[in-house]
Amino acid sequence: MDYEWNVSLNKAILNNAPKVDKILRENPYINDIAKDLRERKLEVLDNIDTYIKKTGESVEKNGGNFHIARNSAEAMDIVRNIIGNRTKIVLSKSNVLYEIKLREELSKEGKDIWETDLGEYLVQINNDMPAHLVAPAIHLSKKRISEILNENLDNTINENTSTEEMVKRVREFLINKYLSAEVGITGANAISADTGSVLLIENEGNIRMDTVLPSIHIAITGIDKIVPTLKDAFNEVIVQAANAGFYPPTYVNLTSGPSATGDIELQKVTPATGPKEFHVILIDNGRKEAMNSDLKESLLCIRCGRCYFSCPAYRLYGKEFGTSPYTGPTGIMWSAIVYKQYNKSELCMHSGGCGEVCPMQIPIPKIIEKIKFKYTG
Amino acid sequence: MEEILRERIMKMKDMVFENLMASFLPFPMDTKLFSSWTSSLSKNKKTVIYTSYMYQISGILKKYEKLFPKIYRINMPKKLMGLSKYIIRPGDSELKRSFYIINNITNLLKKSNIDFGYLYENEPYSGAILLESGFLYEFKKYGEKLMNFFHENGIEELITIDPHTTNALKRLQELINFDIKVVNYIELVDFKGSGEFVIHDSCLYSRAMNMYTTVRKKINESGIKLDENYLVTSKEMGICCGGPLSLISDKDSEDISKMRAESLLSVNDNVLIMCPLCYENLSQHISNIKDLAEVIS
Repeated sequence: MDYEWNVSLNKAILNNAPKVDKILRENPYINDIAKDLRERKLEVLDNIDTYIKKTGESVEKNGGNFHIARNSAEAMDIVRNIIGNRTKIVLSKSNVLYEIKLREELSKEGKDIWETDLGEYLVQINNDMPAHLVAPAIHLSKKRISEILNENLDNTINENTSTEEMVKRVREFLINKYLSAEVGITGANAISADTGSVLLIENEGNIRMDTVLPSIHIAITGIDKIVPTLKDAFNEVIVQAANAGFYPPTYVNLTSGPSATGDIELQKVTPATGPKEFHVILIDNGRKEAMNSDLKESLLCIRCGRCYFSCPAYRLYGKEFGTSPYTGPTGIMWSAIVYKQYNKSELCMHSGGCGEVCPMQIPIPKIIEKIKFKYTG
Repeated sequence: MEEILRERIMKMKDMVFENLMASFLPFPMDTKLFSSWTSSLSKNKKTVIYTSYMYQISGILKKYEKLFPKIYRINMPKKLMGLSKYIIRPGDSELKRSFYIINNITNLLKKSNIDFGYLYENEPYSGAILLESGFLYEFKKYGEKLMNFFHENGIEELITIDPHTTNALKRLQELINFDIKVVNYIELVDFKGSGEFVIHDSCLYSRAMNMYTTVRKKINESGIKLDENYLVTSKEMGICCGGPLSLISDKDSEDISKMRAESLLSVNDNVLIMCPLCYENLSQHISNIKDLAEVIS
């Protein structure tokens, strides 16, 4: 087993798992919300076309632009069309952006494109892939991070540089990127069909910058992120944050269209201080097919990443367990949905902890059993 | 990470399934020897203790797992494979230990006034390996054959003694309406014990079959003291012994066993298990390791 990975992972488990347990014990309403959310999300999966239509109508009613993409290529064409000749782009952490290879493609096309989540920024400058849905740089030790920053950002950084100082240097670098960015591209933790609002949860403050400073905000997410109402969307971010070990979350960002003001005679005028354009791109990429198969419940995943630490295969293989960014137990399901990759399911030991900790009560072990069957059946 | 060899997995599936459909056994084995732990139980009972040979063969499973890549590479002829039952045998102490465990469970069941028999060398294997490898079609097919066998032998209830067999049969109930009653011995007996242990849960008992609390309640009431640690022994954070991974990679399976053993030993030097396969995987790294059925009466 890789020594550096083992040390980094054990520290992460020690810092995270007892904390999540404590949050859930001290706030029992979170599990009640999670049970309700599961039912609400199942309602969407059973009526997906109706909810996509409703979401689109709500986004447009707010002055936003709504797009639907069947696959990665279509999603990228929509993005290219929106950004046109603009070159300066900032990104927030999003697995869907990896799924459609957005940064890779736009970099090749000469765009100045930057991840703004600290972990994702480290992954980017290290030419790496994320090792965890919530904590992408979990596989990098502080020493390794100091080396990466030394090579790519500031050659005065070394292994004796404090973590606080490293974070400060990255912030100084990124602040210029935010200020000059023409386009901010994010994912979404949830999108409400009734109001067309995108909810994004974070702790660093980068998403707030990404979604407000550039003149165009594009939110790209899967159709599985639709929930019936704004209340459900708030519930999703509460459950996600708690199960990720960050409760209360530092920031919850809600976007329901381009910036607007009604301060002069209550006449709504857009744009105001924030973006003048707001786009929502919903992507299918195998999700609808999965909704009609025995993978259906996989689509309930809220990407809290809690299942990773209960899984012996993830502890051993890290980001090799799955197809990055979809790794860990949930990643085995999502690699099957999005990439039709089934082989890594063979590494699952049916330990079962993933199913125990899943706030959406997804029967992950039984779904992986079916993915194994897809591989060998 | 070792390459996942689909062809090898498929070959194993074919080989095991073929053996099971032909002989009710996953590979050739000396069933007379493995059923010789008793001679006093009746052959004609509607309720039987069902070992599925798990305790008896756990020591040789590793040897078969190591042999399998060779069989796969050289395409070993069936006749030669048949001889393996005389070559690959458990050591005397391994066999003695497994017989002691099964006899102790038998005595506990008798003490609880349960009337049961045993199928001796006619006992079939449960098919658990098919289920656990994701060979669901073959598992269901074999499950039907297994159910017919029990019907033909007048069996109405099976008392299981290990997690793999119990789980396989409960899954058959869910998948093919397997109509034979299945009950695990831990749920049937009351027992006494002593000592202080850290428990390594069977993933199947604890999580797949939701017996985490039942098992703890029984053990705590027996007089045995359990040392608990959220990161090591909780239902959420406790992990597998690594055994199932050996079908894909012996080395990776070893790595997990070692990792699990180290975390258990950080809680207590004495480790309590409830599964013959967990014992095989963890005993290489833990000197004071006991099966529940070795420490209770």
